[in-house]
Amino acid sequence: MDTFVIKSLLQDVMRLTAQHIVLVCVSCGAAVIIGVGLGILSTRHRRVRKVSIAVASVLQTIPSLALFGFLLPVPLIGGIGQHTAIICLILYSLLPILRNTIVGITTVDYPVRDAAVAMGMTDYQLLRLVELPLAAPSILAGIRIALVTNIGTAVIAAVIGGGGLGVLIFRGVASLDTLEILAGAIPAAALALLADGGMNLLERRFQTR
Amino acid sequence: MDGRVILNRISFDLEHGETLVLLGRSGSGKTTALRLINRTLEPSSGSITVDGRNIAQLNPIELRRKTGYVIQEFGLLPHWTVEQNVALVPRLLGWPVEKRIARAHALLDQVGLDHKEIGQRKPYQLSGGQRQRVAVARALAAEPGLLLFDEPFGALDPVTRHEMQQQFLQLRSRYHVAAVFVTHDLLEALAVATRIAVLDCGKLELLTTPDKLFSATTPTAKAFLDTLPREAARRAGR
Repeated sequence: MDTFVIKSLLQDVMRLTAQHIVLVCVSCGAAVIIGVGLGILSTRHRRVRKVSIAVASVLQTIPSLALFGFLLPVPLIGGIGQHTAIICLILYSLLPILRNTIVGITTVDYPVRDAAVAMGMTDYQLLRLVELPLAAPSILAGIRIALVTNIGTAVIAAVIGGGGLGVLIFRGVASLDTLEILAGAIPAAALALLADGGMNLLERRFQTR
Repeated sequence: MDGRVILNRISFDLEHGETLVLLGRSGSGKTTALRLINRTLEPSSGSITVDGRNIAQLNPIELRRKTGYVIQEFGLLPHWTVEQNVALVPRLLGWPVEKRIARAHALLDQVGLDHKEIGQRKPYQLSGGQRQRVAVARALAAEPGLLLFDEPFGALDPVTRHEMQQQFLQLRSRYHVAAVFVTHDLLEALAVATRIAVLDCGKLELLTTPDKLFSATTPTAKAFLDTLPREAARRAGR
């Protein structure tokens, strides 16, 4: 194998890894905002909780490849390209973040919440000073699951022209080129491990003890 | 919520410096009565007046900030230091940091804790007795006119409980507050009460002074008096 092939493969790996990171970061960032926001609302309104959990659960059961396919013909948000892939990844990341936010907030010890309310906290103060800090480890655990899963799922984005490391993997599979498959799979796995480790450190910082 | 009547025709007045003990068995409505006073529950009928004003017309947030509250399970914020916990209500009231920390230190000392030693600790690093002292300090932090105590010392060992009751009496005379004190412990009721209200199944069975409770003839009051360990008291020569 000549150096030109190696060099161009390396360039591809760098470029596609960067694309992959963008896909994951943008989709996860949006999923955190939507998921935590909906989670908080869900703890205030029972109906929001029912609907959002139901919708997020159904989304989660759709095979990821099919979800990417479903969005293709949808006007505005669908079509070929990165933005469709990002929307898919957002939808796919919602459930763990949403569910862990709700669990984290609703499992705050009753006496702690009771005392906080009886001391004269407003609902916003209760959320900011008590519920969110105490729910943080649970919320972060949800984000961690979403992030790590997302790095794997983002590989499929290549199918609908979303770019990322999946491009190498699918190309390698099509041409029976093991090196190319590995050139896509190894960085993806490394990203997942890195994200997992980083989130682990972050979670520990928020432990109460 | 399900239309059950939990409290019925309960009425009492309370002056500054007084402690009204709500004495009753589990499920008699003591805690419910207490919660009506800081509006963490709302009555279906009837009214409660604090300092001449019907609390239904007050902002519940402001009412609660002026009302100290202590519960058996402490309810300290586990992610805050002892100092921050005590300074909670002053913080909600927007006191400047130095003032509220100074206040927290003074109060920790008043409830028998060394603020230098434990001010920076988290609640899980304290013993049960220390936690309850912190909870009492927190309830007093913004100089409330009214204290609500819901079986505050129920989880403490008897010696610590006795110490806390004595401390409570000192703090009561120091701050001249009115207090409503829920307990199912007759000895505790006798130790801290200026008046005792005996509740039974949501009804006020008897409203009396600690002295007169001994000659009470109502069923729940008698049942409570029967729990006194007479033989032990006689042997102890008291």
